[in-house]
Amino acid sequence: MLRRILSVMSRDFKSGIRDFMVVYILIAPFLLAFILRALIPSVSSTTINIAVLETMDQDMISYLESYSYVETFSNRDQIIDRIGKTDDIYGLIRTDTGYEVINQGNEAGEGIELIKYIVNARGNETTQLPVIVKVSDIGWQLSPLKQYGANFLIVFGSVFGSMIILLSIVEEKMSNTLSAINVAPIAKFEFVIGKGLLGFIIPVIGTIGTLIILGFTQINFGMTILTVLCISLISVVIGFSIGVVSTEPIGAIAGMKMIFLPIMASVFGGIFLADKWQFLLYWSPFYWAFRSIDSIILQTANWNGILLNSFFIIILTSFVFFLLKNRIKHGLN
Amino acid sequence: MITVKNLYHSYTKDDRYAVKNVTFEIEKGEVFGFLGPSGAGKSTTQGILTGLLQLQQGEVNVVGYDMRKPSREMFNKIGVSFEQSNVYNKLSALENLEFYKKLFDVPTLDPMFLLKIAGLDHVANKKTSEFSKGMKHRLTFVRSMLNNPEAWFLDEPTTGLDPAIASQIKDIIKEKNQAGTTVFLSTHNMYVADELCHRVAFIIDGEIKLVDSPRNLKLQYGEKLVGVEYKLGDELKKESFSLIDEMDRLKLNDIINNGNIELMHTKEATLEEIFIKVTGRGLQYNETSI
Repeated sequence: MLRRILSVMSRDFKSGIRDFMVVYILIAPFLLAFILRALIPSVSSTTINIAVLETMDQDMISYLESYSYVETFSNRDQIIDRIGKTDDIYGLIRTDTGYEVINQGNEAGEGIELIKYIVNARGNETTQLPVIVKVSDIGWQLSPLKQYGANFLIVFGSVFGSMIILLSIVEEKMSNTLSAINVAPIAKFEFVIGKGLLGFIIPVIGTIGTLIILGFTQINFGMTILTVLCISLISVVIGFSIGVVSTEPIGAIAGMKMIFLPIMASVFGGIFLADKWQFLLYWSPFYWAFRSIDSIILQTANWNGILLNSFFIIILTSFVFFLLKNRIKHGLN
Repeated sequence: MITVKNLYHSYTKDDRYAVKNVTFEIEKGEVFGFLGPSGAGKSTTQGILTGLLQLQQGEVNVVGYDMRKPSREMFNKIGVSFEQSNVYNKLSALENLEFYKKLFDVPTLDPMFLLKIAGLDHVANKKTSEFSKGMKHRLTFVRSMLNNPEAWFLDEPTTGLDPAIASQIKDIIKEKNQAGTTVFLSTHNMYVADELCHRVAFIIDGEIKLVDSPRNLKLQYGEKLVGVEYKLGDELKKESFSLIDEMDRLKLNDIINNGNIELMHTKEATLEEIFIKVTGRGLQYNETSI
């Protein structure tokens, strides 16, 4: 049984990698992850770097280090040489009347103003403010673009595997090879599992690659894989149901696009809807996947929560499967 | 080997039957021809016998398996070659056969050996998308031999092939049959049926009109005539003589002894002529109402 299942899977993979469209689908998650990483503000662009003289007051250096990355140099010329390098770094030198900020002129953002605020703030530490300022944390632990971008890529990437299933079924229909399969000693369930496996393997590989590219190496990969396997199930079911009624690849992919709507609705609804309206998304398996991935990325997930969300995904997918079961069965004959 | 009793099949699930009350038996080692025009019910019958179509009514037993509950294991014992070639175009010929080979639970023939007998060994590693129609057809044909089947279902095995390739295919069928394979051959080609089949069934409008051996049919329906072209002086004469009529026999004897015979042939009926006589229709007739 396993031999036949693996034969179907390896045939689909072999056939798939000879198709430009399938190769693109395979590398798409990684490409998108690289693009997202390029868009996420990097550490160097959100941290201010300051070059100071070794002779600067040690308290002042410690103070600056609480806001920035500080490098020390023995003389002004060395500071100027350092500023002349390609990265963004400002010089800060004590003068008789205060501080001198040296910059190259092509630095990004409002670095000089920020340094002025930092230096002035130290001078005004003892000043009594006319207002009471309270600082609170609203819970952002990551760049929202990184947090939700990665989540979206993972949920969206679950569709990529099913696209390969879809294309392989269309190929079978176009070449009428389903008839030949139907007179071979392979059970229907073996054929379906063999065809469906790539729909799980590709999203799992894509997800792990995406997370590594985006720097999420400390998260719980076990929970992640479980969630991706669950959400891939709905994509696989829909991939089969569209594949068996499609007669050519472009039309099949166009049909598959309908799955993008619930994905978008689930992810963006999950981000922007107030808690009291979130129940509007409970019908979508992608919403539960979004919630699981969000907590995994934020490292607040626990197995109970992940298993509960996975349970909801499987229940909803089962419902969709029973609706489409006959259509799939009939289409594979 | 194959038993069919009172088989009915309707695509519309009503009384518009594509196959009606079809009954026949095929013995082990026999080549059985299903002869009829397009739309007569040949492919429907073959579809039911190979499990591609669900058995609706009647009894069908193939290589010991009841087709009411077709078993996956049955496909280890049968081979099916389709009229339309159906191969994976992105795979090479060898990869196609190797893929199907892995699906069987029984010993299989070497794919390279099969490619060789199909004359495709020189293009074994070429993608089949680059194959001609005939090459794809030959690949589909030899694929059905992979498991060395006990019962071999062939649907129009020579249709669309050039005569040399068709002759090769017929030789392979004869060879396999001599080795003990039972063959169910659906065709509208009377010459193929005449050459290969031990018995033929004439099917039209979903009903079997007659089952017999080509020889018996020719004896039963053919006229015992001999056609002769001979020279009488400078004149070329063309006449037919009955082998039953005494006068004709004497005249034929006289021509043989004294005449200058240029051509002489028996005028036995062809299967097509018999088919027309029995069914009132030609084998090229296209039925579109089913």
